[in-house]
Amino acid sequence: MPAQDVRELRIVGFLCNWCSYGGADTAGVGRFSQPTDLRIIRVPCSGRIDPLFIVRALLNGADGVLVSGCHPRDCHYAEGNFYARRRLELLKRFLPVTGFDARRFEYTWVSASEGQRWQHVVTEFTRRIHELGPAPNFNPASEMDWNALALHAAQGQTCPCHG
Amino acid sequence: MRIGVFICHCGSNIAGTVDCPSVAATALTYPDVVFSTDTMYACSEPGQDAIIQAVKEKNLDGVVVASCTPRMHEQTFRRAVERAGLNRYMFEMANIREHVSWIGKTKDLNTNKAAELVRMAVEKLRRNRPLFAKRFETVKRVLVIGGGVAGIQAALDCADGGQEVVLVEREQSIGGKMAKLDKTFPTVDCSSCVLGPKMVDIAQHPNITLYTCSEVESVGGYVGNFQVTIRKKATYVDWSKCTGCGLCVEKCPSRKHPDTFNEGLCTAPSINIPFPQAIPKKAAINAASCIMLTKGKCGVCAKVCPVKCIDFEQKDELVTVDVGAVVVATGYDLFDWHKYPQYGEGRYKDVITSMQYERLLSASGPTGGHIKRPSDGKEPKNVVFIQCVGSRDRSVNRPYCSGFCCMYTAKQAILTKDHVPDSQSFVFYMDIRSPGKMYDEFTRRAMEEYGAQYVRGRVSMIYPQDDKLIVRGADTLAGTQVEVPADLVVLAVGAESARGAVQLGEKLRVAPDQYGFFVESHPKLKPVETNTAGVFLAGACQGPKDIPASVGQGSAAASKVLGLLSKKELESDPAVSRVNPGRCVGCGKCVQTCPFGAIKMIEDRFGNPKAEVIDTVCQGCGICTVTCPQGAIQLEHFTDNQILAEVNALCPPKMFANFE
Amino acid sequence: MSQLDTLKSAIKDRLGELECVIGWEQGYDPLHATPLFIRTEADLDRLIIGPLAVHNLATYLTAYKGKKIGVVVKGCDSRSVIELLNENLISRDDLVIFGLCCDGVVSQRKIRAALPADPGFVEAVDISANGLKITVAGQTAMLNMTDILADKCRTCQHPNALISDVLIGENRQSASSTSLACQEEFEAKSDAEKFAFWQETMSRCIRCYACRNACPMCVCRDYCIATSRDPLWVSQDNSPAENFMFQMIHVSHLAGRCTECGECERACPVDIPLMLLRRFMNKQVQDVFEHQAGTDLEQTPPLLTFKVEEERINERGW
Repeated sequence: MPAQDVRELRIVGFLCNWCSYGGADTAGVGRFSQPTDLRIIRVPCSGRIDPLFIVRALLNGADGVLVSGCHPRDCHYAEGNFYARRRLELLKRFLPVTGFDARRFEYTWVSASEGQRWQHVVTEFTRRIHELGPAPNFNPASEMDWNALALHAAQGQTCPCHG
Repeated sequence: MRIGVFICHCGSNIAGTVDCPSVAATALTYPDVVFSTDTMYACSEPGQDAIIQAVKEKNLDGVVVASCTPRMHEQTFRRAVERAGLNRYMFEMANIREHVSWIGKTKDLNTNKAAELVRMAVEKLRRNRPLFAKRFETVKRVLVIGGGVAGIQAALDCADGGQEVVLVEREQSIGGKMAKLDKTFPTVDCSSCVLGPKMVDIAQHPNITLYTCSEVESVGGYVGNFQVTIRKKATYVDWSKCTGCGLCVEKCPSRKHPDTFNEGLCTAPSINIPFPQAIPKKAAINAASCIMLTKGKCGVCAKVCPVKCIDFEQKDELVTVDVGAVVVATGYDLFDWHKYPQYGEGRYKDVITSMQYERLLSASGPTGGHIKRPSDGKEPKNVVFIQCVGSRDRSVNRPYCSGFCCMYTAKQAILTKDHVPDSQSFVFYMDIRSPGKMYDEFTRRAMEEYGAQYVRGRVSMIYPQDDKLIVRGADTLAGTQVEVPADLVVLAVGAESARGAVQLGEKLRVAPDQYGFFVESHPKLKPVETNTAGVFLAGACQGPKDIPASVGQGSAAASKVLGLLSKKELESDPAVSRVNPGRCVGCGKCVQTCPFGAIKMIEDRFGNPKAEVIDTVCQGCGICTVTCPQGAIQLEHFTDNQILAEVNALCPPKMFANFE
Repeated sequence: MSQLDTLKSAIKDRLGELECVIGWEQGYDPLHATPLFIRTEADLDRLIIGPLAVHNLATYLTAYKGKKIGVVVKGCDSRSVIELLNENLISRDDLVIFGLCCDGVVSQRKIRAALPADPGFVEAVDISANGLKITVAGQTAMLNMTDILADKCRTCQHPNALISDVLIGENRQSASSTSLACQEEFEAKSDAEKFAFWQETMSRCIRCYACRNACPMCVCRDYCIATSRDPLWVSQDNSPAENFMFQMIHVSHLAGRCTECGECERACPVDIPLMLLRRFMNKQVQDVFEHQAGTDLEQTPPLLTFKVEEERINERGW
């Protein structure tokens, strides 16, 4: 892979095909310039987005994850975004206990005609991620770190009252 | 696997800000990529031929094209790889135009991003498998929703094309807004003379079933096989017997409720036939004002009816029909001008809407075609028309141009002179928008031949003086303020989305735009299609339109329907959910969440419950795939492994020992 | 008649029509109980109840699908039964539920911590309302129930079985407190601290799947996506991230379904406090959907349904 610009962070987007992917296209057609960090994964519907995809991305070291679907009531499949809203909201609220900064994950609604709104969402979210900086690695980055962690774990540290 | 990668320059659209040869070179380092090149226009004929040639020469079994959005050309390239002998699903697209070259400014970053998107596509493609479409038969019947001129045209064209048509109209008669008009621009021919015969054709066409006083209750199914439930509202008249003689209308003692067909200019009897040319010409009772239905006594109509067709016990009835396609032609409604304080908010009786004015002009209207102003019935001499009432105005959230008001105002100014030769018309306008055949000439005639005085400017207030209304406004060309004493003020109210359009859109899964007009599939290339296969748009429900455009779109929608239903069988999209019965524990959660009822429970040969997808019903949303904890039901082409491969391509996991 | 005798006679009455009745018996020593599968009246003699009967026996129910069985449940266990019924994973007709009114169970982990040394084989345990008298190698230690009560019992809101064919014992009061100090303490930590905590605990995880196997709501069993290749969510790499991914799958699949029985944490051989995740998730489910799993036979798991207008989800302004 070519040398990566140091300023760029890794932001993964999950977009539904019918609204938000179209909205991102509309933004492109309108030449609404955006930061380049975001990489978009196209799925048919926000209802296809398993919150575990987002967890997987974060555990793999993504600095931010952005999900976007059709506005409520406008889902191409009628109900997909209603299910998505519940799943994603729960993930968003759950993240703090894991120690992942919940601000690294966001979900929103952008329609196919809202190119400008998409530009706004991408720009704002990218800015937020840059303010947060690179995400910490869940897995140790080097063998040395790995060994240190193993040593630490062997000594045992648990919740004092648990059981 | 042997994958070929094609990086499109799209002229300078992509190559301008992406180093395409470098992306192609990088792609060669990706797993399974055996061939990679850049190409000027991948979608052009030589571009597609080059792909086909490469597939054959390099013995490829998968293709990645990095170019524009898949929403644009995915089908094009799928067909190309199919021509090359591959399954069409052994193809992936990386969007490096809309999502890269057109939005990013820095070439290095763009090039890197493009390469990563290609990597993502390659990783996904490595997990693709050939998919094969299933064929299914279509119901040879079409539902047209809305009996205005667009719906009438669509229904007639479909019926003439040999398809059965079910036409559903909310009001008592078909005809829509056009039936209320007196004359039409730019020919000034009689509206009902043009529309009337078409309405009669609807009633008489052997292929058309008409439901008026009816609304669509629910829509299920999918292209080729929709199940529609229609609510026939109670009319309290047995239409199988009613002859439309009108005796009941004449004798009805309750005549106080506003006549909606005449835009509230007069009152109507509780049992009524809205206008002489109504189709069907049947009487219906207004339950809210009928004395019998509200107070329990009267029944005059039942007594006078010669065929005894009055039935006060009638209830709403639900009818279910299967159709293969749906045309939505629900039209528009008029802007509620009372939101504007400057026009008196309804305090002055002689400030009326253009549609009310149409009824005053019409020979079948409340005044028999004589222009009489509502306050005192006097014939007006000075008539002021105000344009753009609820059009091109951000302050009332109507920034769009309604398109036809300039023209009908010119028409009404001409007709005013015809009706009252010594009258003078004044038109306050913002711009005159009259593109169209004979349109600009027409507005000129209004000014030059009929002496309508056009004042470029907005009206700031209307106030009463003696028996006149003083219209104060700006004349921006003269740079002065003007005051015109008016006997009658006509507001050229703009169009807005029809009442209930958004709710209907939800049933049909057709999204409305921010103003409630339905969104077409593509603003230029698919103007009558929607994103829901088998549902088409006609007329002003898609955006304000005049009669010729509505008729044209009605015919266009009909031709799309005929094209669709002329196929003996349709192919279903094979990118649907599939159950791995080995993994399925038969909990039925997928059945519970599927919005389409596309999953059913079956028993395997050991009697264990298992889920099974009905291929033709599944729309491929993937809600079930996320619902299933075992990952037993996977949406083809968007499986967990395919999406995870994309995630892992973008964020490679950091592993201590990589056993993969 | 003691509660145990009442239970025995109730089981005896129904045993004839049942494949088996699941209860508890003494395990390898008097301190440890183990599940008992009662098939004959003779088996009944070994049945025990009380603070040592910790296992949530609802875990076994799906394995008996299609056969008529009986099960003895505490209040918390009964929630799992309700949730399984709600999700159509077991059939009410195939189940006879012997419900208990529970005074709470012990935490073996806390007992271990309270004793001066690892007890090894325990010779005798004397159970009273105040606590346990444990005899190890001739030495006797008295442990107060308040010190060794399991965490879930400290905040228990449903001590009496919520669903049963036979309910044994007198109604017990639910716990006055609904929050645990250690939970609150943990939640109050900074993201960085929590992140480091999970990194460390997850590096201990040996992915034995005991937490999953003990969970009454983990019905996928052989088809768990954490141990499959298609779909391949978790790689074999035994790294903290992969281990945490497995735990996230477990949390995610329990969202709105977890009855907080604590079996996952109890089963963990390396002492990972998994309930920190569960309790927090359940609190969110309660906040957003006003839903507590397994408390009502009519409820639908919140992720299997939706409202067009969600009163408690604020669309964030963008």
